[in-house]
Formats: sequence, structure tokens, C-alpha cells
Amino acid sequence: MGETVFIKLRHRVQVKPNAAITVGDVAQVMATDSGMAKQLQTIPLYQIQPSDKNIVIIDVMKVVRAVLQADRSLDVQTVGPSQTIIEVVYEKRRFSTAYFLLIWLLLFVGSAMAIMNFHEDVSMQQVHQHLYEIITGKKVDKPLLLQIPYSLGLGIGMILFFNYVFRKRINEEPSPLEVEMFNYQQSIDQYVILHENKESMRKIDDD
Amino acid sequence: MTIEILTVIFVGFAGGLAVGTGFVAFLVVLGVIPRLTQLTKTMKRIHAYEWSAVVGAVVGGWMSLRHSILYVSKYWLIPIGLLHGVFIGMLAAALTEVLNVWPILAKRIGVEDKIVILLMAIAFGKVVGSLFHWIYFVDYFQ
Repeated sequence: MGETVFIKLRHRVQVKPNAAITVGDVAQVMATDSGMAKQLQTIPLYQIQPSDKNIVIIDVMKVVRAVLQADRSLDVQTVGPSQTIIEVVYEKRRFSTAYFLLIWLLLFVGSAMAIMNFHEDVSMQQVHQHLYEIITGKKVDKPLLLQIPYSLGLGIGMILFFNYVFRKRINEEPSPLEVEMFNYQQSIDQYVILHENKESMRKIDDD
Repeated sequence: MTIEILTVIFVGFAGGLAVGTGFVAFLVVLGVIPRLTQLTKTMKRIHAYEWSAVVGAVVGGWMSLRHSILYVSKYWLIPIGLLHGVFIGMLAAALTEVLNVWPILAKRIGVEDKIVILLMAIAFGKVVGSLFHWIYFVDYFQ
């Protein structure tokens, strides 16, 4: 058995369109002979084509095969994820401010309408009138003394939940939103790993 | 007569049980209480928080059904309203989170870095919509 080489694939790599991907792009390579590790990193693996669209999966077996082809006496050890997701980044879509403002307004008006419908749906006006009467013993039509703090509290509660005010000062924990984004990305990655990688599934009608 | 009374007690108790379990399930699914303990780092007090939700539900239920009246200053309504609003705001935020609105929205329109501004759009939208509703809209809808 020859020299041991350790290969650890990266999880996610961004490349430009028509890039030629080498072993070093998708993996960390470690060997006692660092010159050889450097040389192994330059082995070409894959050429991005326009037909690949924006996701390519490189399986660890492809990397091992390429390394063994370069030197069949090596003892290849793999560590970590068994595939790399290659994301082909086409020219960054620049967002116009107008577009962003439109979405902002959409969300703003939409959530305003949603909260009004919610109030009507649960008859909150009556509940507030009733609450006013419970506290003070007087009947009023518009208990604004209760309702204005309530309205401000709505916004405070939402911001508090997503922890945007205290995050930097109090703790380093990610906010629920960041965790949620991470989980969503994780699910997408899991999906593309299985569905874009021809090696990971074998169907009956595949020859 | 006794049977009637027992039946009414049974029906009332069963109804309360169903609504109470539903209320707890709702709180648990939305995860507001864990979020609050995480924010304030008071995980050890979680049982006290459970009891506060339970006692709050019982007191609220009792007061609204019995029409009890406290006859205190109307300025008590300001803190009550504020707490009420924060609670509903947290429920609304938790609901958007449970429904996975944000990650999908950010992915679809590609604004991962500006998501805080969009969050603010929703929060301000809620405040403004609510104020508009109470101050203006209710007059035209009686």
C-alpha cells in the first residue's frame, strides 16, 4: 500500500459558468508529502457546461477515481460529506430599488390587511369593549386607551420574537429566522444531493 | 334534576377540557414560551411560565363568563394593552415562522441579506393596520 491521502469534500462550492473544476476546488487534500497533495489538487474533475443549469453534484467516488487514476498506489481515505454541491453562479441579479420597494409595500399592506381581518374574525372590538368594562366599570365604544398600546405591542412582539434588537448585545445565538433559513437550505441541499446525483439512486428502468 | 345537573357539569367540563388542551397545543406548536425563556435565559423557570399561561387562561375565562367588574383606574388598560399586543405579535411572528414564510420568500426573490427590512415591513404593517382599524375603520363598520 502506498502513501495515505485524506480527502474531505466541501459541502457547497460556488463557481463561475464554464469553470473547470479541479479536485482542489471541491475537496481538501491532505498527505504527508505536501507537494504531492498540491499536485493532486490540480487534477481536473469536471467541466461545467451550460446544460448543467445551476446545480452540479460531485460524488466522492468521482474524486477518488480521479485521484487513483493519477496514482494507483495511493491509499485514499475519505472524511466528511460524501458529495459536494456545486452552485454555478450566473451573473448576480441586481435588484432595482423600485422592485424592492414594491415587495416592501406588498408585505406592508398585506400584513396590515391580515391583522384587520384577524381582528374582525375574532371580534376583537367587542372583546376590547368588554375588557374596558371589566377594568373600569364604564362602557365605551372605542377603548383606544387599550387599543393603541395593543397596536404598538404587536410590532414589539414580532421584533422581539425574531430577536433583532438584543441579538448583538445579549447573546450570540442565531435568531429563529437564521435557524429557519439554515434548515430550509439544508432541506434543499438534501433534495438536490439525492435528485441531481445520478449515482445515489437507481431505478428499474435505468440501464 | 340531579341527572340534569350532572349532565350539564359533565358537558361543561368536557368542553373546557377540549378547549384547554387545544389552547396548550396551540402554544406548544408555535413555541412562544421556549422562545421567551431563550431570550431571557430563564430555562429553569419554565414551569412557572406554564402555570402563568394556565392561570391566565382560567382567570380570563372566569372574568369573561362571570362579567366581573374591577372598578379600577382606566390607566391599567395601558400596560394590559401593551402586553396583549406583544403576545399577539409574538403569536403572529411564530405563525409566519412555523409556516416557513421567510426562508421561501427570501429564496424566491433572492434577498437573503435584506430580510430584516422585509421583517420590518411586516411589523410596521401590523402596527399601522391595527391603528387604522381601531381609530378609523371601526366607525364605518357597526
